[in-house]
Amino acid sequence: MSKKRILLVDDEKDLTYAVSLQLEANNFEVLLANDGQEALEIARRKKPDLIILDLMLPKIDGFKVCRMLKFDEKYKNIPIILFTARAQEADKKLGKEVGADCYITKPFDSKELLAKINELLS
Amino acid sequence: MRRSIKPKGVANRYKLLSYLIDHIPDVIYFKDTKGRLIMVNQSHAKGLGLKREEVVGKTDFDLFPENRAERMFKDDLRVMKTGKPIIDKIERATRPDGVDNYASTTKIPYFNTKGKVIGIIGITRDITHRMQFEHLKEKRLNIEKKLEALEELNKIKSEFISAVSHELRTPLAVIKQLLTVIFDETAGPLTDKQREILVKARSNTERLKNIIDELLDISRIEGKRLKLDYSLVNLNDLIQESEDFFRKLAAEKGVDLSYYLPQGEVNIFIDAERIVQVILNLINNAIKFTEENGKIKVEVKILDDKVRVGVIDTGIGIAKSDLPKLFGKFIQVSHLPGAEKKGIGLGLSISKELVERHGGEIWVESEPGVGSKFYFTLPLSYTAKMLGKSVRENIIHFLKKGLSVYLINFLILNYKEFQKRITVEAHKLFNDFEEIMKAAGKEVFGSVKQNSTLVLDIQKGRCSVIFVKAAEEMVTRFCELVKERAKDYLTKNKIEEVFIAMGVSSYPSENKKASLDHGPKNLKIKEIYIGAEMRRYKRINYQTDVEVKLPDKTVDSFKSVDISEGGICYLSKKLLNTDTRVEIKFRLLRKKAIISVVARVRWIKELERLDNETTNRYKIGLEFIGLKNQDKKILIEELKLYYE
Repeated sequence: MSKKRILLVDDEKDLTYAVSLQLEANNFEVLLANDGQEALEIARRKKPDLIILDLMLPKIDGFKVCRMLKFDEKYKNIPIILFTARAQEADKKLGKEVGADCYITKPFDSKELLAKINELLS
Repeated sequence: MRRSIKPKGVANRYKLLSYLIDHIPDVIYFKDTKGRLIMVNQSHAKGLGLKREEVVGKTDFDLFPENRAERMFKDDLRVMKTGKPIIDKIERATRPDGVDNYASTTKIPYFNTKGKVIGIIGITRDITHRMQFEHLKEKRLNIEKKLEALEELNKIKSEFISAVSHELRTPLAVIKQLLTVIFDETAGPLTDKQREILVKARSNTERLKNIIDELLDISRIEGKRLKLDYSLVNLNDLIQESEDFFRKLAAEKGVDLSYYLPQGEVNIFIDAERIVQVILNLINNAIKFTEENGKIKVEVKILDDKVRVGVIDTGIGIAKSDLPKLFGKFIQVSHLPGAEKKGIGLGLSISKELVERHGGEIWVESEPGVGSKFYFTLPLSYTAKMLGKSVRENIIHFLKKGLSVYLINFLILNYKEFQKRITVEAHKLFNDFEEIMKAAGKEVFGSVKQNSTLVLDIQKGRCSVIFVKAAEEMVTRFCELVKERAKDYLTKNKIEEVFIAMGVSSYPSENKKASLDHGPKNLKIKEIYIGAEMRRYKRINYQTDVEVKLPDKTVDSFKSVDISEGGICYLSKKLLNTDTRVEIKFRLLRKKAIISVVARVRWIKELERLDNETTNRYKIGLEFIGLKNQDKKILIEELKLYYE
């Protein structure tokens, strides 16, 4: 079976670096995007198996990216994990409203992230 | 004969006038153009401590200190020169005894018949009291302003803490991930020494994370943004969740940790996450401040109308002088060994806030060298006192006779909020509930005359039913029936996208010992709760083309809705009014049918704006009206495909 492809979107390059190393170590192919627009482009062009999406992004924020993908027939089946430093309830609710599949608060455990990825991909 | 004052004749009028002038507390005088006092009233002379004869003929220079006389003279001259009065001039004069006096002076020119100024009339009034009052007012105003500024500052502080904490999370997340990459040897093999160092680095990032979380909690509490999320929870389960973790932690330190929990379930309405936070905080502290071979006891006791959780240790204890400030903010009783280990001293202050928000109390009993006992309580039922007086009396009455009693409490949680959400007025609501219960009682117990009492407490949102000599299964059936009927009733009458989660919980009889001293074995209690969030119909998120035709003939269309057999809920930028009728058209994907139906706006919720959004978004709930039976059937079938 071919490697599963994950699109990792965050403007914190050190974070995407660290996370992508771990994802690659766990046998995933990682696509990177540093802003919302790039994320949308890559998502549409390369159709990843899963997207990890930060909320506070330059150009187009994570919520919008999520909404645009989830409300689009072609991409709505791609699972999306939202990333955020804002752990407020409001965020959680909004996450659900825009159709995200789950939600992880920064700072997070890699184990937690990997478990969620595997759950969503299974 | 009736005597009256009749200002008839010049003499009489003069007498009246003199009386007025002499008895008024204001100082009144007449001066000629040279500043000589031609006439003064009694107050004038008295104020100077002189007799009237001693004042008449003198000038201010004879009576007052020179600089004051000078000032007065200048004013006199001005009035006489200009022919214009000076009105209500306020002056401060220090009395010989050092007290500040304030006087208001009015000076009017006195003209002769030819229009020439021939002197002045002056009135001076002591306004010291008034001025003191004014000063006080001013001071208060100042204090109020300062308080406002302080509040503002405090708000800014909270917001600042919140912003900073959020900002801290991101770099912390980066550090954590980078450490993980090294730790997992993704970045190459590690030596044992390096691993050891990394473990320390990791545990310190954990510490930092905890501190940030505490700061965020405090900023939420201070900014009144902390919201509790109540649910019915078994407290025993909650405490046991962390038991393994703490047993390990205590064992590592050589501390004996034991749990004393009551048998059965301790069902209470709490925000489980928050209460866990309190419990973790207390047990963590206990372990931290207890030396090897020490003991820690975690206990739960059910008291009259509340549960008490205690964490009791044989640790180093707390000095008496430190006790009062223990629950304050940023408090570290720093000279204690162990205190240097972590935290910024917010844990207990957060715990206090959390417990108090639940309607409970938290306190500590401690003795240095002996140990500390931390306790907190939580109300057994969310609505204050478990049993009202009349209910209690009723129960005792039956128990005294040796009869077994069943008490069923029907509680509405968050009663105020609840009331806002239903259209029925409180009295009507309770009358209806009463009817529901009566009907249910009749149905369950039938024609057999059942000794029952019904007590309604509209203020607190509670009904209590007392059954005497009732069989358990009958009571259970009664509860189920009431639950069902109440649910139907509320469904019919609610307006918001609400709730109706119902729980039935039973309290074992021995719990009630404290409140009822007669045959507690004969008392059983059940509670039915309503008020937590649950939706009326099972809803699913559905991706399909939906068109909503608004009254102004415009069409709002979108692809994703939450849908149930009762209606749909969608996000829109268009604000509608409740009860507005709209036409909806949507496609059922699997059944390949198109449903057109009229709906009305049931509720609208404004969503929080996202960071870069400029317009409002609304979540709108539509309720189908007159959905054709056939369509309804198709819809239900379709929905089933999604949630089964």
